[in-house]
Amino acid sequence: MAATHAFKESNGAGEVSSTATNLNFGSNDSANLNTATYPITRGNASFEKYLRCLFTGVWTEISNMKLWRSDANGYKTGETLKAATNQAYVQPSDVANADSDIPLLVGSALTIQSAEGAATIVYGASGVSGYTKYVRFQLRTTGSTPSGAVFQKTLLFQYDEV
Amino acid sequence: MNSIISQNLGDNNSMKSPLTFSWIAIFSDGSKIEQFENNNEHSFQEVQNKINELVYFNLTDKQGHLFSVNVVQGLIGYNDLVFSYREVKEKKENVRLIFFRRHKVEITENNIEKSHNIEYHLGFQYNQNEYNRQIVLIIDSQGSWVLGE
Repeated sequence: MAATHAFKESNGAGEVSSTATNLNFGSNDSANLNTATYPITRGNASFEKYLRCLFTGVWTEISNMKLWRSDANGYKTGETLKAATNQAYVQPSDVANADSDIPLLVGSALTIQSAEGAATIVYGASGVSGYTKYVRFQLRTTGSTPSGAVFQKTLLFQYDEV
Repeated sequence: MNSIISQNLGDNNSMKSPLTFSWIAIFSDGSKIEQFENNNEHSFQEVQNKINELVYFNLTDKQGHLFSVNVVQGLIGYNDLVFSYREVKEKKENVRLIFFRRHKVEITENNIEKSHNIEYHLGFQYNQNEYNRQIVLIIDSQGSWVLGE
């Protein structure tokens, strides 16, 4: 009970929204893709992923929404994970974008706003959808990146709720 | 209730992470609001609506843990143990409840929600002389706690 959340991924020109079950990066603009079916050729970028969170249930206020990478697994040579929060949806592309590396410390975590552009999501307030804005991810490789699986990445999404 | 939100109920990929602690608010006239009552969940907003009448705000779980804030005197109790800043000789002024749940959701490539942990932050703020001070316990889902900032 209290607030519950769901992660939604959007894809396509017309924006099809799906409930995400994984965050696999690949060479196709689709949710919950299989990396064996859509591998990334080294030197290329993955298709961008547009992810947002939908809060449901009962709460008074959700605030302090943050995202960062929390593991210490590092990257393979030439590999980076880019992330940008508070984005509007644009059809995902596999062209390298200008986003920054996802931060590795809570102190430099990315902050996330509500879909309406506020720092908090107030339950039942007029016009509040319960969605966050989009987080855009893209996995990058270079010609130096070794073939095979990359290290698993753990991201931490944190929020305060009352 | 916001109909836009409620119509999405049941459509989530969140791991089952039920609250292990629930709250009970007790007011100066002896009335109380329990978070879960008669198969309904009360919003914390209902407590905020009567915040000037609040005396005790308790967190309890099914394991027998009890954390209690006395917002009149500025005390935190943990079962039989009562904490106060005993070095503070002056009466605490303007005591305000602090309560929220901090959710930490781990996301991996393979699993959009590998884990979901909830910390309960419970305590109070008060004014001493010209300073704003606070005492907060950070309580994990098992009832272990540390004194927070």
